[in-house]
Amino acid sequence: MTSTVESSRSGDRRAARAHRSHRAAVTPYLFIGPLVLVFAVFYLWPAIATIASSFFRWGILNPWQTQSPADWQFVGISNYGDTLASGDFWNATLNSAIWLVVFPVLVLASSLPLAILIWSTPRGASFFRSVFIVPMTISLAAAGVIWTFIYNPDPNKGLLNAALHLFGLDNASFTLGPLEIHAGHWLSNPGVLHLGFADIRLVNLFIIIPAVWAFAGFGVITFSAGLTSVPDELLDAARVDGAGRIQLIRHVVMPSLRPSVIVVTVISVIFALRTFDIVFVTTGGGPAQDSEVLAMLLWNQVFQFLNSPQGGLSAAIAVLMSVFMIVIAMPYLRATLKGNK
Amino acid sequence: MKSRWPIISLYGVLTVASIIWLVPVATATMISILPLDESSKGWWNADFSTVTLANFGRAWQYGLSQYTLNSVIISLVAVALTVTLGTVAAYAFARMSFRLKGTFYFLLITTMIVPVQIILIPLVPMFRTLGFNQGWAQYLGIAFVHTAFGAGWALFMMIGFFSQIPDEVLESARIDGAGEFKAFQKIALPLAIPGIVSFLIIDFVFVWNDLLIGLTVLDSDHRPLTVGLAILQAPHLNQDDLISAGSILAILPPLVLFAILNRYYVRGLFVGSVKG
Repeated sequence: MTSTVESSRSGDRRAARAHRSHRAAVTPYLFIGPLVLVFAVFYLWPAIATIASSFFRWGILNPWQTQSPADWQFVGISNYGDTLASGDFWNATLNSAIWLVVFPVLVLASSLPLAILIWSTPRGASFFRSVFIVPMTISLAAAGVIWTFIYNPDPNKGLLNAALHLFGLDNASFTLGPLEIHAGHWLSNPGVLHLGFADIRLVNLFIIIPAVWAFAGFGVITFSAGLTSVPDELLDAARVDGAGRIQLIRHVVMPSLRPSVIVVTVISVIFALRTFDIVFVTTGGGPAQDSEVLAMLLWNQVFQFLNSPQGGLSAAIAVLMSVFMIVIAMPYLRATLKGNK
Repeated sequence: MKSRWPIISLYGVLTVASIIWLVPVATATMISILPLDESSKGWWNADFSTVTLANFGRAWQYGLSQYTLNSVIISLVAVALTVTLGTVAAYAFARMSFRLKGTFYFLLITTMIVPVQIILIPLVPMFRTLGFNQGWAQYLGIAFVHTAFGAGWALFMMIGFFSQIPDEVLESARIDGAGEFKAFQKIALPLAIPGIVSFLIIDFVFVWNDLLIGLTVLDSDHRPLTVGLAILQAPHLNQDDLISAGSILAILPPLVLFAILNRYYVRGLFVGSVKG
């Protein structure tokens, strides 16, 4: 990028350029240096420490200190073995898996139709877009708190139960095949979906819904951006050929939205795996451990019971989560890197 | 297509969806401006002549003032650091070639993907070692963490804005004998201001809304408002009035910023998405 225009110049200027290109060897590092330094100290180092500490047995009261490595008991990969053998881990993995599947699906299922509807409006598009984008500025902690008012089990206070009360359903319990529902207590025990190999706790769904509410705006923005790339001529041509509305969306609009669908899916998956805040404020992982996700199990193990030497186990979970995310997102990351060069 | 869609059902669906999307915030707002015994009957049954701002005053005195102050300080320091360091670095990545550029870029951009949990645990002993675990130093410590963690987003967004500047513009500055930093400061920076503002808002929203890092690395006197909200949210205390006031307080600053700079915010997200 710094290469200058090639043309015959006076020797004077050429000398100046030679001087400059010598300087240019250092200059870029002066520009990126400060950020790289902060990154190295506050990201790279702790990340390496997490990986290293996952091979030791230790607790947060006796943490990773380079000065006193003797306090640490090297245990090889047994933290990974113990983690993979623990029921708590698989319980949290199941709940995280629910997040990883349901959250992106609901984000797509809400934001894609909304974006297409908004795009189809002759007027007021920016107003409607704002309505769905605004919750994006709300923290998941605040979103969780706000939705606990909606979910309040008392039908005199909680809007959802008040609405169900009108139909006499505010305390309904029923079973539909493998699905067991207890209306009313949305954040304690709303029901279970019994699949042969696992029980899906519906409380996770009711924590995911506020997260989708807050996050759908990202989908709406991304799809709106994608929709601007739908070629008008193609739409006109298809219409002249007598294509119906559904056909038009399926064969003309959707193909142009493919990149946007990928972006929204990848970013939702990244957010779904990190989930901590909203679970922390709504249920704290309960009832029992019904909504405990991996991020929360990790946090509880290392920070809640300070005297138990479970730091290594938590570090192992952090490493497993990161490896999983890198594998999932690598193709996307590679495409991004290519796009930026 | 636009003329064929049944307009009424189109607006009907969008209006219903909008109402559903607005109800949660409306509910929290209503509970926050009604006395507790009124909102306990259901805010839709309340006597609206009793509307008051007293809940906000009580929540403020109850401890939210300190949490709010913490959030403001952390956000200002972290955003200032991230934007400053990120802008300078993004310029180099966009306009200069140097050895290991690809490696640095790859490492920094992974912060967007790898879950924050990978750094969380060692931060606690690290803060102790570096002296970031007490008093005011904690603000600086967490600001550095936010800077490191925001590096990927900063580059991802701002490189694009610097790349758009035409070569000739910067070249003319260099021929005039301006050093690389001068060219950046006098020419590139002013041209990239809209992009920087877009990133600034997104970074502010991100830092202001953080709960997990603040909860983990800060002591109870320095934690942000999100943590304060989680602590208010004790399930067996009947204090919906305080909780709702706190939640409104917590969502207000990013919301106001969004309202003022709406255009930049949306544009920033557009850039991030179109590039992928």
